[in-house]
Amino acid sequence: MEAHLTGVYPRSEKLVAATRAAVRGNLPQGELDKVLEEDTKALIRLEEQSSLDSFVDGQLNWQDLFRPFTEIFTGIQAATLTRWFDNNTFYRKPIINEKVILKGDALKQYFRVDLLPKGGSKKAILPGPLTFALMSENKAYQSISDLVDDISKALKATVRKLQALGYDRFQFNDPSISSPNRTKNELTTAKQAYETCAQGKGLLQTYFANASNVIDTLLDFPVEAIGIDLYSTPLEALKGHDFNKILGCGCIDGRNSLLESPDRLKAILHKAQEQLHPRDLYLMPNCDLEFLPRSVAEKKLHLLGETKRLLD
Amino acid sequence: MKDRLFPTQEIGSLPKAPWLLAYIRNQKIEEKQLEDLSKWSKTTGFENESEVRSILASPRTSQAQERLRELASIFAIRYLESAGLDFVYDGEQNRIEMYEHPVRHSNGFEFYGNVRSFDNRYYRKAACVDKVGFRDAYHLDEFKLVKEHAKRPTKVPITGPYTIAEWSFNEYYQQRRSKDFPDLQKLKFETKRDFVLDVAREILSPNLKALVEAGAEWIQVDEPALTTKPDEVPFFVEAFNECTKAVGCKLSLHVCFSNYRLLYPHILELKNCSQLALEFANRGDDRGDAYDQLKLLNEFGDEREIGLGVADVHVDRVESPDLVRHRIEYASKILANPARVYVNPDCGLRTRSWDVAYAKLTSISKGADLARRALSG
Repeated sequence: MEAHLTGVYPRSEKLVAATRAAVRGNLPQGELDKVLEEDTKALIRLEEQSSLDSFVDGQLNWQDLFRPFTEIFTGIQAATLTRWFDNNTFYRKPIINEKVILKGDALKQYFRVDLLPKGGSKKAILPGPLTFALMSENKAYQSISDLVDDISKALKATVRKLQALGYDRFQFNDPSISSPNRTKNELTTAKQAYETCAQGKGLLQTYFANASNVIDTLLDFPVEAIGIDLYSTPLEALKGHDFNKILGCGCIDGRNSLLESPDRLKAILHKAQEQLHPRDLYLMPNCDLEFLPRSVAEKKLHLLGETKRLLD
Repeated sequence: MKDRLFPTQEIGSLPKAPWLLAYIRNQKIEEKQLEDLSKWSKTTGFENESEVRSILASPRTSQAQERLRELASIFAIRYLESAGLDFVYDGEQNRIEMYEHPVRHSNGFEFYGNVRSFDNRYYRKAACVDKVGFRDAYHLDEFKLVKEHAKRPTKVPITGPYTIAEWSFNEYYQQRRSKDFPDLQKLKFETKRDFVLDVAREILSPNLKALVEAGAEWIQVDEPALTTKPDEVPFFVEAFNECTKAVGCKLSLHVCFSNYRLLYPHILELKNCSQLALEFANRGDDRGDAYDQLKLLNEFGDEREIGLGVADVHVDRVESPDLVRHRIEYASKILANPARVYVNPDCGLRTRSWDVAYAKLTSISKGADLARRALSG
């Protein structure tokens, strides 16, 4: 069994203070960048100590899941603050003003492969194409499916560039895919998008909603693994499906500070194995840990390692 | 005040007095702040300008700081009164903010650090680590001061039980029943109900009762988080009914920036809520279509009063009195009963400047007046 992180990691109190100082004009960008780099390195040390099976940079300079792509892709502008699913946090809604293609600028600024350990597996986390399109304001495309199609092509080009930089694993964070009332057309569009950008590889991460409503369809998607938020999806509701992929078991809660016990996690993983017979299991948080203060996230990261050792 | 149509009210927070913040933060009092103090004292009829100046010019003491806090409240009352509002409070001048204030004054919570709200903005989110409990009546002194100084009827805003629970981590209630629910989703959902209900019983209920005993005639329960998780709206309804049991005053509910359809049919079960104060102006149109959502009340036979949000608190553009009048008339037509309509900003005005907030409130008063006159022919 492998253990992985799933998304944006919280900033340390020192980095929080530095970003505040920078906003007030009291800290030059160069100084902020130094604190950011120190913070990223501190996270990577923790990942090494916890023996995770892939390294991530924590996306500490990502203002939200889409913001880097206002620089990496063409035609996108960040606009009004909008609630991020059912959280008390907000993102800036992207406005799609023109055709979306990869520019490639700023890729190295937001994917810090230079800081990841030379020898380990390196995971890049990207926005899922359906979520990207549905959470944006489309002013350029005739239809959502046209927009999803172009986003998936731009993501495919991004994946290639990141592979050239040294990344060997890719995760697509696509919470909208399991949101209530997803239509058949939207799911068909999403499946086609994954044929373009994932091509049978990568992990599709669903979260914040009950994925059991769409799991039948998702199991046909051309991805290697599907991550499920088990704090939003009852495990029982997944029973009976032929889980022909790796199951990303989101059983460490990124939205609650209560520390899970390794024994309980072990029991859940065993139950998932027994009921769903996936190709393999990944032990993961259910979503980004950025909804927690840094001190709590560190404990959860240690817990990942501790539970993995217990299961090994 | 209900003897006339379209009574006007505030919703909650105002920007904090800059001279109070500078004093608390031990910063130099700028000349501009003193000029503003004079300007606003003249505009609002604030009678304590010389006392504020005297405190600001003297060595800092904790006693002086406490008095300055009181003066900031009195100033905000005069600000709202002079803008023409019929129901006033103190703009929450002495609350940390709507979440952290009640949590810091209650038992069972612990703060671990910052959580990002957006971009480079963060907030302190507490964890519930023990059974929640009453520590002190955290709005009582504030209310007594407002009651003593207000020349108009008052309405006390208080953060509701669902929002307090939703904006906190739930450790205690989830841990306590972890063996009852092997499934993680079920555990999280069911113990959220326990948490919300205990906040209602143990924190809100004694606070509401203390306010009523001190003479509060109207309390507004603020629930900005209410529709965040639609499946949990029934938890709020149960909690509201629990904490307002035997609370003998007018009670209203404020919700904003939400899909109001998600409230129904659940909120029809609220037993003691006579008004819904809702945000509409932010939905961005001048024709009135945003107010079509009021048809929901008709659809569900909800005959409560409406606190009609007619001024957007997120933009500086000031709604004209004519636009306010139009919105009031449009809403009155939908509800088919103008007597149900109260008029207010969408939400608290704390993110606007004193100038903009005052212009918006003055416009609300004038617009309500225009609507009254138009109706009386």
